[in-house]
Amino acid sequence: MANWKLKEIVVMSVLSVVFAVVYLAFLPVGKLLVGFFGPIGYDLIFGIWFIVSIIAAYIIRKPGAAFLSETIAATVEVLLGSAVGPMLIISGMIQGVGAEAAFAATRWKNYTTKVLVLAGMGSAVTSFIWNFYLSGYAALSTGYVTAMFGVRLVSGALLAGILGKMISDGLAKTGVLSGFALGKEVRSQNNEAQQIS
Amino acid sequence: MRLQQLNPSMKALTIVVLVLLLALVFDPITPLLYGLWTIAITLLFGQVNLKKYGLFLIPFFIIAFGMFWTTLVFGEKPVNPDDMVKVFGMTFARESLFTALSLGLRVLSFAMLSLLFILTTDPTRFILSLMQQCKLSPKLAYGILAGFRFLPMMREELKNIRAAHRIRGVGRANGWKESFVQFKRYSIPLLAGAIRKAERTAIAMESKGFTGDRNRSFYRSFATGKRDWIFLVVMIGMFVLIAFTSWSLGYFQWYNGEV
Repeated sequence: MANWKLKEIVVMSVLSVVFAVVYLAFLPVGKLLVGFFGPIGYDLIFGIWFIVSIIAAYIIRKPGAAFLSETIAATVEVLLGSAVGPMLIISGMIQGVGAEAAFAATRWKNYTTKVLVLAGMGSAVTSFIWNFYLSGYAALSTGYVTAMFGVRLVSGALLAGILGKMISDGLAKTGVLSGFALGKEVRSQNNEAQQIS
Repeated sequence: MRLQQLNPSMKALTIVVLVLLLALVFDPITPLLYGLWTIAITLLFGQVNLKKYGLFLIPFFIIAFGMFWTTLVFGEKPVNPDDMVKVFGMTFARESLFTALSLGLRVLSFAMLSLLFILTTDPTRFILSLMQQCKLSPKLAYGILAGFRFLPMMREELKNIRAAHRIRGVGRANGWKESFVQFKRYSIPLLAGAIRKAERTAIAMESKGFTGDRNRSFYRSFATGKRDWIFLVVMIGMFVLIAFTSWSLGYFQWYNGEV
């Protein structure tokens, strides 16, 4: 973290805190869906729980952003009183590793939509392996488990990858990100567009 | 002794270890007994309000029930399908019923362990302890604490944004598409405000000499003591004891590598 500026760390922490609240707000939604559909209910909206990884990594573009932001968000969820408890911190780390792996594969250089979607799916893969152990999915039939995994992958791609990109781009348009990697990229693109016209 | 006096990091570690152990068990008796034991400890040593405890626990019965019926319906085919039990006028294979009960009770026992932690731990103390015992970087720790402080401010800001929309004649959203547009109208300004404040906070921290150096002094310092280890050993010891009881009653079922 030596090459991180303090403002990047604080902004990442604040984003994580804000999304921890969002994550908590989605827990009752998940619980309701689980009550109706069984464990697959969570998978439908699981992607929302990866979103801060995508947003933080896309905005700050430094190694570790995806992993740290997700871990902090999980920690804050515990502090705010998520009854999932301290275990959630480990879950957050595992989800963060999945997203981070996708960015690491591009050596933290490529932040196109494709990579963001892959990062969302990466979190889906690692978190699923974790849930498989923790929730005893081994006791469920293979078909059902496969369906859960498929639904979670799609959810990670859309709710984390695509939605995360949309929110970040919306933020960049307001100009508050001018001191961060994403804001700088948007500005240089705008300048180029002006020069051409 | 009170649970509030334990070192927050050690308490968290104890809970994590126990959850990992409970996740290996596939019989109903062990999570049931361990859940009861956890409730007893929380109420005896945690000075937790019974009503509050109940309110926190209720949602987990819904999840537990979801887990229970899914396992019953979508579970693996039982090894001995002829061994049937009758419950509420319906017949199930004994094995499926036990696994389903086990996974449902597992959700509840996890929830009880978590409640033991969150109802007896102060957030600020937990972050400070993470920094001192678990080598969490001070930059991150104080960043998180600052972010924590933003939450009430953001609630205020959300009210302002909503009022500003109303006064300009932007009403409530109807339908899917409009709610999505409205979600964007609220979330982007809210996040933008938070990012601006975070940047200013970072500048303020630096201007007051905050370097993020790990060799810093603390106003409130935390250490791990004998009672933290006693707590860890007693909690794990009880798990072993309960697993043994379940085994001697002939119920115990360990994860046997089936996928």
